[in-house]
Amino acid sequence: MKLWRRSVLTTPGLALLLALAGASFAGAQQTVRGTVTDSASQRPLSGAMVTIVGANNRAYTTAEGRYEIANVAPGAVNVRAQMIGYAPLVRQVTVIQGSDAELNFSLPIKAVELEEVVAIGYGTVQRDNLATAVSTVSAEDITGQANASADASLQGKAPGVQVIQNAGNPGNAISVRIRGSASITANNQPLYVVDGVPVVSEDLSQLGLGGQGIRAITGLSAEDIASIDVLKDAAAASIYGSRGSNGVVLITTKRGQAGKGTITFNSYIGTQSVSKKLDLLNGPQYLEYMREAASNDGYDPNDYFPTTGANTDWQDQVFRSAPISGAELATAGGSERMRYRVSGNWFDQKGVVISSGYRRIGGRANLDFSASDRLHISTNVAISGERNDRVEADDNLEGIVGNAIAHEPYFPVRQPDGRFTNISDGMAYVNAVDLATHNTTRATTNSVLANVEGRYSVTPSLSLTSRIGVDFYDLTEEQFQSPLVPGSDGAKYGGVAKRGYSNARRYVWDAFGNFDRTFQTRHVLSLTGGTSVEYEKRDNAFLRGELLPDATMKEVTNATNVTQYSGTYAETGLLSFFGRANYTLDEKYLFGLSFRSDGASVFGPDNRYGFFPGGSVAWVASREGFLANNKTITLFKLRSSLGRTGNQAIGDYPYQTLYCSSNYGNEAGYYPCTLGNSRLGWEKTTQLDLGFDVELWNGRAALTFDWYRKRTSDLLLSRPVPGNTGFTSYVDNIGGIQNKGVELSLTAVPIQPSRADGFRLVSTLNLSFNRNRVTALYQDQPFSTGYYDINRVEVGHPLGAFHAYKFLGVDPATGDAIYKDVNGDGQITSADKTFVGNPWPDVTGGLTTTITWKRFDLTGFFQFSKGNDVFNGMRVFSDEGGYNYDNKFADVLHRWRNPGDRTDQPRASFDGTSGARLISSRFIEDGSYLRLQDLTIGYQLPDRWAASIGMANARVYVRGQNVFTSTDYSGYNPEVNSNGSTSNASLATDFYAYPLARTWSFGVQAGW
Amino acid sequence: MSKTNLMRGVRMWTRSGLLLALTLGAGACKDLLDTVPPDSAPEDKAITTPAGARVALAGAYAALQNGYYYGGTMTHFGDLYSDNAVHTGTFTSYQEAAQHDFFADNSDVTGMWNNIYNAIKRANTLIAKVPNVTGFGAGEQEQILGEAYFLRALHYHNLVKYYGGVPLRLEPVVDPRQIDPLPRATVAEVYTQILADLNQAITLMTNATEPTNHATLGAAHALLARVYLYQGNYPQALAEARTVDGYGYQLAGNYASLFNSDAAVTPENIFTLTFTSNLSQANLLGYYWLSDALDVGAGRYEMAPSQDLIDAYDTTGTDARFLWNIQPDPSGDGYVEGAAYGTKFPTPGGAEDFHVIRYAEVLLIKAEAFARAGTLDSAVATYNLIRERAGLADHVLGADVTTQADVLAAIDHERRLEFAEEGDRFPDLTRDPTRAIALLGLSGPNRLLFPIPQAEIDVAPEITQNPGY
Repeated sequence: MKLWRRSVLTTPGLALLLALAGASFAGAQQTVRGTVTDSASQRPLSGAMVTIVGANNRAYTTAEGRYEIANVAPGAVNVRAQMIGYAPLVRQVTVIQGSDAELNFSLPIKAVELEEVVAIGYGTVQRDNLATAVSTVSAEDITGQANASADASLQGKAPGVQVIQNAGNPGNAISVRIRGSASITANNQPLYVVDGVPVVSEDLSQLGLGGQGIRAITGLSAEDIASIDVLKDAAAASIYGSRGSNGVVLITTKRGQAGKGTITFNSYIGTQSVSKKLDLLNGPQYLEYMREAASNDGYDPNDYFPTTGANTDWQDQVFRSAPISGAELATAGGSERMRYRVSGNWFDQKGVVISSGYRRIGGRANLDFSASDRLHISTNVAISGERNDRVEADDNLEGIVGNAIAHEPYFPVRQPDGRFTNISDGMAYVNAVDLATHNTTRATTNSVLANVEGRYSVTPSLSLTSRIGVDFYDLTEEQFQSPLVPGSDGAKYGGVAKRGYSNARRYVWDAFGNFDRTFQTRHVLSLTGGTSVEYEKRDNAFLRGELLPDATMKEVTNATNVTQYSGTYAETGLLSFFGRANYTLDEKYLFGLSFRSDGASVFGPDNRYGFFPGGSVAWVASREGFLANNKTITLFKLRSSLGRTGNQAIGDYPYQTLYCSSNYGNEAGYYPCTLGNSRLGWEKTTQLDLGFDVELWNGRAALTFDWYRKRTSDLLLSRPVPGNTGFTSYVDNIGGIQNKGVELSLTAVPIQPSRADGFRLVSTLNLSFNRNRVTALYQDQPFSTGYYDINRVEVGHPLGAFHAYKFLGVDPATGDAIYKDVNGDGQITSADKTFVGNPWPDVTGGLTTTITWKRFDLTGFFQFSKGNDVFNGMRVFSDEGGYNYDNKFADVLHRWRNPGDRTDQPRASFDGTSGARLISSRFIEDGSYLRLQDLTIGYQLPDRWAASIGMANARVYVRGQNVFTSTDYSGYNPEVNSNGSTSNASLATDFYAYPLARTWSFGVQAGW
Repeated sequence: MSKTNLMRGVRMWTRSGLLLALTLGAGACKDLLDTVPPDSAPEDKAITTPAGARVALAGAYAALQNGYYYGGTMTHFGDLYSDNAVHTGTFTSYQEAAQHDFFADNSDVTGMWNNIYNAIKRANTLIAKVPNVTGFGAGEQEQILGEAYFLRALHYHNLVKYYGGVPLRLEPVVDPRQIDPLPRATVAEVYTQILADLNQAITLMTNATEPTNHATLGAAHALLARVYLYQGNYPQALAEARTVDGYGYQLAGNYASLFNSDAAVTPENIFTLTFTSNLSQANLLGYYWLSDALDVGAGRYEMAPSQDLIDAYDTTGTDARFLWNIQPDPSGDGYVEGAAYGTKFPTPGGAEDFHVIRYAEVLLIKAEAFARAGTLDSAVATYNLIRERAGLADHVLGADVTTQADVLAAIDHERRLEFAEEGDRFPDLTRDPTRAIALLGLSGPNRLLFPIPQAEIDVAPEITQNPGY
């Protein structure tokens, strides 16, 4: 021991920590013991945690409710007892040298359960002592969700967190925005940290499938998650420095507890169907409309259309009801020395669009080993495999959904001879059913997420932790485009086979010390300091081959020509130092300071290191004398924080001036492809947060409120240069964005029973109001992006605001569309485009209501979004007057037909001369919605029933997801973005996005 | 393992971890943070050896393959903006071209500008760096530099044809903070630079006619002839065409053989641009013309031959160019606009090489120069070579054509039929603005030039827009 201490002391920096810790080493130590009981029933509580406040000593109660904490220094000590479902209690006891102390606790049932321990990065904190803005989503909110992506469960559950599904295909990559978007070109997704390891969460897919993405985070099973903590303000996120600007999602997985081993089994099976179909024309309506369009513009309709035809509902042809199932088996337990939780999970979701589906199988082993009283070792190992059967969608002439919407309904699916109808029969697009039958697109991923951590308690106050984590992610993609589908790409090239591999290897090594100590009972000091090294290497290879000998030969190896190939890797490194000091005076005044210094390989040598500080102050007014015994206000805390975070996600080598390959025939070639910028640095976000937490009547009602202002400057922006230089842009720190908002979370228990199984009603409401505004651009020049340049990035406007012609109505005399002549020059030109909508909601939120009574439980979860607009890009082809052969929205049924008709629907026009084709506010729709996202009714089987089938306890439930949606939006789903999860400014666009499923499932949760 | 041993092991592990932290913090971080891409070359190492110069030269040719340049837009728009083609697809940027009514933010007009200048950048980089490279074999350094000057001249000529006077960027930009703002040069200044570059190329180059997918002396003289023709300097155009004759080029015996294979080798090839089936080196030329209705496979069918072009041919079916360039719909509607397809580039895959300049053009330049000089018999004899190859009867002076205007009209006609779908028609028509405006139904002379891309003017206010945009 001495040897070890001496060697630590030789290490500069740690010497100070040890000197502080050393103070506690003098004198003999005593034991504190006692019991913990339920205040109502007086029954012993097993598994309650008892801690010495301000020290690391802790113990868990036995089955008899007894605990014992050794090595307590003499003097007055505060002892805390806590257990999930009960209000924690702190009692003081004076430990006298030479005699052990006895202290009993009687815990009251808590009206509202909040996670008491909050992960804050490189440590945890009691929620009472938290001075920053951190939202927590607990396991109960995550479990049983028939959802591939665990972070989808943040939707409506955490204020300030906006989740957008983008599209409804199984396993799709979702968008998560914490307090708005703070970047235009870099990543806007938060940093994900699983058990301390920042994980790979990017989309590494090499097959572009419109808004459908693949994200590494889907490999994590929701059933393994104990809690998700979201670091929202800069003071909390600054501990993750250069990656904190988008917030940090800390995921903690479940661990074993000492005691009797448990086995839990969760399983559900269900069925899904499309929650909505588009209201399109049927065969006769289509022919009538299109024939009228031709006549209106002087054509003979008989040259283009038959008078009668089939009447096919193409949507019905590609949609189906599809099964979904999931199961998880976990066993947990252990002794004080060794604890374990081992689990395996399975998830299988067939898509509601034919030929699509998603499947995952995974396992996790979390082990904790106490080698001695001082040395604790834990390991987490998770492996998962996913298979994603994808369909082309969105911006693709071979999209299954898109083509089903576009197909002329007067064509049958098959000709009388059995072959699929196709372009050669006069259809405008390749037969969607034919495509789904013959073509395949599959992504397979395997991932390993593992870490091993050693924590050594040098003294009861000081611990040193070293952690090594790896995240290995392998993605294999295969695509086969059959030569048998007439008119398709596959036919064009005689069959196409593609094969791609993407691997990410991330290594993280952290070493840090935590010092927690109480001085003179009123000063609680908590220090954290350490270093972190991260290295990531991403490899990829891709092959595309054409002209396959036979439709049964589907691989690149069969190809006559390899027409596309690539293979390379990229490396990034990050070297960091971080520290945090939290000081609490009298449990009333909370002060926090934190920093991180990051050095990143992606930035130029002139600007490689960044410093990200944060500070917070909070006052727990309810602990002041004037409120101390108040029975109404049981907690009142005022919080404020200020800090700076960064964003560095802009590619791997953006500062370097490089030559890229550009070959000519069989001659190798290169050319200068990028303009370097050695001064390139971080995007910097400065965020001010003011908030308060109120708890009334011991948790019968609780309110958390935050106001924030998030100012981001030095945005990494593609800075345009004159094209006559041969370049078009380089990356520079230019732009600015501000997000300002208010978020609140209100939990109330309007009906609280006197007995544990009485009628209980709990409601939680989350509301988030965020206002996003671009504050600076290169020379403040606006630019457009997205489909049809519909999204605008302009100073003073929200990021990606909709910018198009403003539709004023239909001229009753001519049936032509009228647009606003904004600049008044008498003609409609691109200068007349104006702001016509906002993709950002005014408010988003969720309302969860849970009723429990006897053995029944009922949960309803509504989510909503108000004030957001959606660009319905499908109308570009299906509400354009008849210029395209695409089927039309049924709105055209009330079109202008005769002079004098008053309507908002322009006349049918085969040449597009009615003006209906112009991309205008006609295609911007209100995307506000209210959705009953989750409705669950559960029943806890009586113990003897459970016992008769060999279980200790069992619950059965019926669950509906996406039960209904109330919206004026005419597309499938207003929560959409066909630009995908990686898109920053191209927002809220529906371009034939895969529809959302409604799911009904039946499940069992059982335990032994 | 006993507890003591375990403890010792764990201590060793923890301690070495701490040591690792300090060493990483001090030294190893340099490697961690100084990552370099394995698939790119740093600027200071590029073009420092003869091999590097050759590679950069290949890169300079690859720029011409771009889908906004010869590989697509520029070639397409040469026909689509003229009376040769109609728009049948969905791209609004193409629709604007067909309607002779561009918005200044047209994505293809912007892409074409940016990519021609990207090609100029590659030539400028060679011109700036190659003189400092040592170790070449005899004449190679000069040949490479000559080719770079040739390419720069070709690019500026393409720019001046479509955009008018443009900024003359003659040095490569390497530091984004040191970009000279360049206003537009006049058309005359651009032509002066083109001529200077071509003459420099001729001085430096030693390759006479081979390889035909690189610039050679023959190609430089052919391009000079074209440039003089555009300037209306017919005597010089004639002189250069005659110089080209001296290199021994001949018309390919069979018109189709110029286009019917991926890498057609004919005696007519002067400068051909290589394309391959590799998607990064494939062109979009056929893909935009072809239709699913044809056996060759699916194309975009973004554009189609106009009735005016179809009718310009002798539709009785003896003109080899008609048979190759246009095919009727298999359903049997015949040669009707909208049901006939442009088939000069026979597959949608885009592997066929493209003739940037071929001997037929030199012959037509020569014929026109003769005609302008009043030497009508020589003019007719020259363009008759083109008619004969197409399988048509010779014109007889005094019978088929009589006046100078007749001969010029006949040459114009042959040029249209010969180069249909090769992007020649619109720029060629602009040599006679009055006629172009009438023929294309343009709203005025402003429509004879494309707009300067709005993005360019936004970032470089010193550049003025063409009138009317």
